[in-house]
Amino acid sequence: MLSKPRSSKLLLGLYGLLVAGLPLAGLCYALLGSLGLVGPLAAGFTGRYWRALGTDTGLLQAALFSLWVAGASLALAGGLALALVLGAQATLRRRPLPTLLYVPLLMPALVMGFYLFQLLSGAGWLSRLSFGLGLTPGVEGFPELVQDAAGVGIIMAHVLLLFPFFTLLFQAIYQESRLADYYQLAQTLGARPGQFRWRVAVPVLLRRAAPTLLLSGIATLGAYDIPLLLGRPYPQMLSVYIATRLQRFDLRELPAAYLAGFLVAVGLLGLILVLTRLTRRHAL
Amino acid sequence: MRSKPLTGTSPPRSARSIFLTAALVLLFALPFVLLALLAVAPAWRFPAALPAAYSLRALRDLLAADNELLAGLGRSVLLASVVASVATASGFWLARAIARAARPGRWEALSYLPYALPPVLLAVLIQPFIIRLRLSGSVGGVLLGLLLIAVPFATLLLRSFWTQQAREYEQLARTLGCTPRQALWQVLLPLAWPLLRTALFQTFLLAWFDFGLTNLLSVGKVRTLTVQVFTYVGEANAQLAAVASLLLLLPPALLLWANKRALLRKAD
Amino acid sequence: MKKISFLLLTAAALLSGCGSASNKAHTPQQTLAQTWPQIEAAGRGQPVSMQMWMGDPLINQYMSTYVKPEVKRRFGVDLQISAAQGAGLAQTLAAEKEAGQPSQADLVWINGETFYQLRQVDALLGPFVEKLPNARLLDLQNPFINTDFQQPIAGMECPWGNVQMTFIYDSARVPNPPRSFAALPAFVKAHPGQFTIPNEFTGMTLLKSWMIALSGDPKLFQGKFDEAVYKKWSGELWKQINASRPYFWKQGQTFPEQLAPLHQLFANGEVAFTFSNNDAEVDNKVNQGVFPATARAYVPLPGTIQNSHYLGVVQGSQHPEAALLVINFLISPEAQLKKMDPNVWGDHTVLDLAALPAAQRQQFEQLPSRRYAPRRASIQGLALLEPDPEYMTRLFKDFRTYVIEAPVQ
Repeated sequence: MLSKPRSSKLLLGLYGLLVAGLPLAGLCYALLGSLGLVGPLAAGFTGRYWRALGTDTGLLQAALFSLWVAGASLALAGGLALALVLGAQATLRRRPLPTLLYVPLLMPALVMGFYLFQLLSGAGWLSRLSFGLGLTPGVEGFPELVQDAAGVGIIMAHVLLLFPFFTLLFQAIYQESRLADYYQLAQTLGARPGQFRWRVAVPVLLRRAAPTLLLSGIATLGAYDIPLLLGRPYPQMLSVYIATRLQRFDLRELPAAYLAGFLVAVGLLGLILVLTRLTRRHAL
Repeated sequence: MRSKPLTGTSPPRSARSIFLTAALVLLFALPFVLLALLAVAPAWRFPAALPAAYSLRALRDLLAADNELLAGLGRSVLLASVVASVATASGFWLARAIARAARPGRWEALSYLPYALPPVLLAVLIQPFIIRLRLSGSVGGVLLGLLLIAVPFATLLLRSFWTQQAREYEQLARTLGCTPRQALWQVLLPLAWPLLRTALFQTFLLAWFDFGLTNLLSVGKVRTLTVQVFTYVGEANAQLAAVASLLLLLPPALLLWANKRALLRKAD
Repeated sequence: MKKISFLLLTAAALLSGCGSASNKAHTPQQTLAQTWPQIEAAGRGQPVSMQMWMGDPLINQYMSTYVKPEVKRRFGVDLQISAAQGAGLAQTLAAEKEAGQPSQADLVWINGETFYQLRQVDALLGPFVEKLPNARLLDLQNPFINTDFQQPIAGMECPWGNVQMTFIYDSARVPNPPRSFAALPAFVKAHPGQFTIPNEFTGMTLLKSWMIALSGDPKLFQGKFDEAVYKKWSGELWKQINASRPYFWKQGQTFPEQLAPLHQLFANGEVAFTFSNNDAEVDNKVNQGVFPATARAYVPLPGTIQNSHYLGVVQGSQHPEAALLVINFLISPEAQLKKMDPNVWGDHTVLDLAALPAAQRQQFEQLPSRRYAPRRASIQGLALLEPDPEYMTRLFKDFRTYVIEAPVQ
């Protein structure tokens, strides 16, 4: 078995090659591509794709929109989950809840997007119900819940996927950290329930769940299927933006797409680096 | 879940609790109801709140088209199982190696790297190399791409197993005369089993749900069930897409039914 | 542990079983120098990987339930179909070529700008069309068939089908659709929220037709890309579209990214119009129950673009001979007849019916006729030639810049 330090080192080396080597090589390739040095129609070094960046605000818009969606989804899903764990402990422990909360984990993002579109679009099921009840005069009168400017549909899809997962996670931490015992202790010592929740429970839950929350946030930043189905052509989320750039009917656009991919990758990696430092400092 | 009620018998349900439970049941059951209705409803249009007619034609067409769908199901199961086993097994050892490394924090940060990139972007970035490795269009290429995401995921997940305590247990077993093999099979694996099971399920789902990376790296040639479902969703036929979506949900639902606890990533 | 890894290896081997490369290495010249009997002998029993757009269930059904079993039965060819098209396809083939690796694709379904891009990176094998025994039946005198977006096909791609863009509307909701592009803005203004433009291939064909209609002179758009002509008439187009935008679906604040969602909006009655690059599509969509039976298709004056779509062989193909066998079958009278049936696909044939024996010609003439789409003969006079591919790439880019991303006035 792999008990010797040498084989351990070899294993880690191979791992580094796979996990860092391949993506970093890809990043270098994208960088060279954005400079016109590699790629199917490469014609030698040029800085014009980088210079064109100054006049093109599409990437920045996509980044800001993605940050908004990820931030809002994370906050809403986290808030809901905290409210459930802190406010409905008894209900959470009863059947059928624990099992029920696993159900959304099985939903691929694509299916969630397709479902919400069928439910919330202008001619969707809710709109039909409200028309049938005489609440709206037709397709036009129904509020715009998908493919809307603020990304409400996209955020809703992510909240639906994330909050049950967060609830289960917080619940597991709640039990493992014996927060219920602390709660009783705090009460005996005369603390009010609100004080316990905000001063003890919330910090413990958030701190211990931070790495997972962080990963979910990053995954939401890079979401593709859901914004593709529930989003607008403008503003777009990052993955959709890059895919659109790559799929324009023109190979000459490829370097610009490589550039966008490179910048997004570097940006996300930077973000991860900063955030992992922060969470590690606070979590461990 | 290990539900240990604080008091011996649970108190009677409050109205609030019943309301909350009902709301959540409704929220999570609605997708299945709507998808099932769509699946059996041809030509169901606004403003009809319920389908005017029901038919199983879409389901029959889909299954009768050829056995490609079943082959895709088989391919998906096989591919996801291989990814899950390889990723979990290597993640287990990698997590240990990281725990013993001089600077574990660095390796952890590194593990976030492929997971940080959206899979579509990752696939685009590594495609030139997959082609040069002659893995493009093959299961090998898809496997490599999926492992690139699944192995760090499993490693990060299993990292929480290799605490000081686990290492002490291992040491203790060795001191008591166990061979490394015995220590592994009789002490470490049973201890790690709940977490390993979680890693297996999560990486299985990761591979099961993937479309973008699989499709790009295989040049569309490895037609897993998910890739086929995308074809149907792209055909603008709500009925076929609903049938295919349900089909995609079925195997994970069976997994959940078989073992729900393993699905959740345990709190570290 | 060892047992497990053995099992895993076996599973991996099973999974990759179909990926083995063939052992012969013909240069493209050697492949094309062969006689047809030699090509036939070399192609038999080989697998063919075909890359095509897979967005239509009937097309997919035609391929999987008719073409696939037929080529298997006739030549023992195992046809594997996968989804790829346009820029994605060009990008993958270019990347393979750049890496100097044999291609994973053999046969591609292309036209227009993809043909142009693939020729740019020299990714197509050819000229091969005259090699095909069935090529003598092709209607290669027809400018709508022998020229692809102003580019002579020069034997580098083989015609497969011919289609014309149509407007599709629901006659139950819109008794009097606008009969011309000139009448469109007034109609849209009078019926707000019913009209939108899909931001993809079909939508671009719509924009090209609209731009040509605005100019009043289709001849301006023939020949090479003309910057001045484009600037002038695309400018007019954006002006007209932006003026009508507040009356578009969702006040023109967003546009569907794919045709499929637009079809869905139309089927649900959320919009009154959708479009198709296939003049017979309305028939097969109604037959499937996707569109209401009151859906109709027509061509607005002064006409819409008619174009053909083609089959190409990839230069780095590992089974080029087998791909040629498949193409020859796809342009056989039998396969073309089947494809033209509106209940099967409704794709107009590229064969010269006059070149067929009388009995076969009759079969084409007696096909079940279109019920909801206009007759071919009645729209042939309204057919416009495809302009240079650059018009399309520019429209696609500028539609985003000047319409989608511009604020609604």
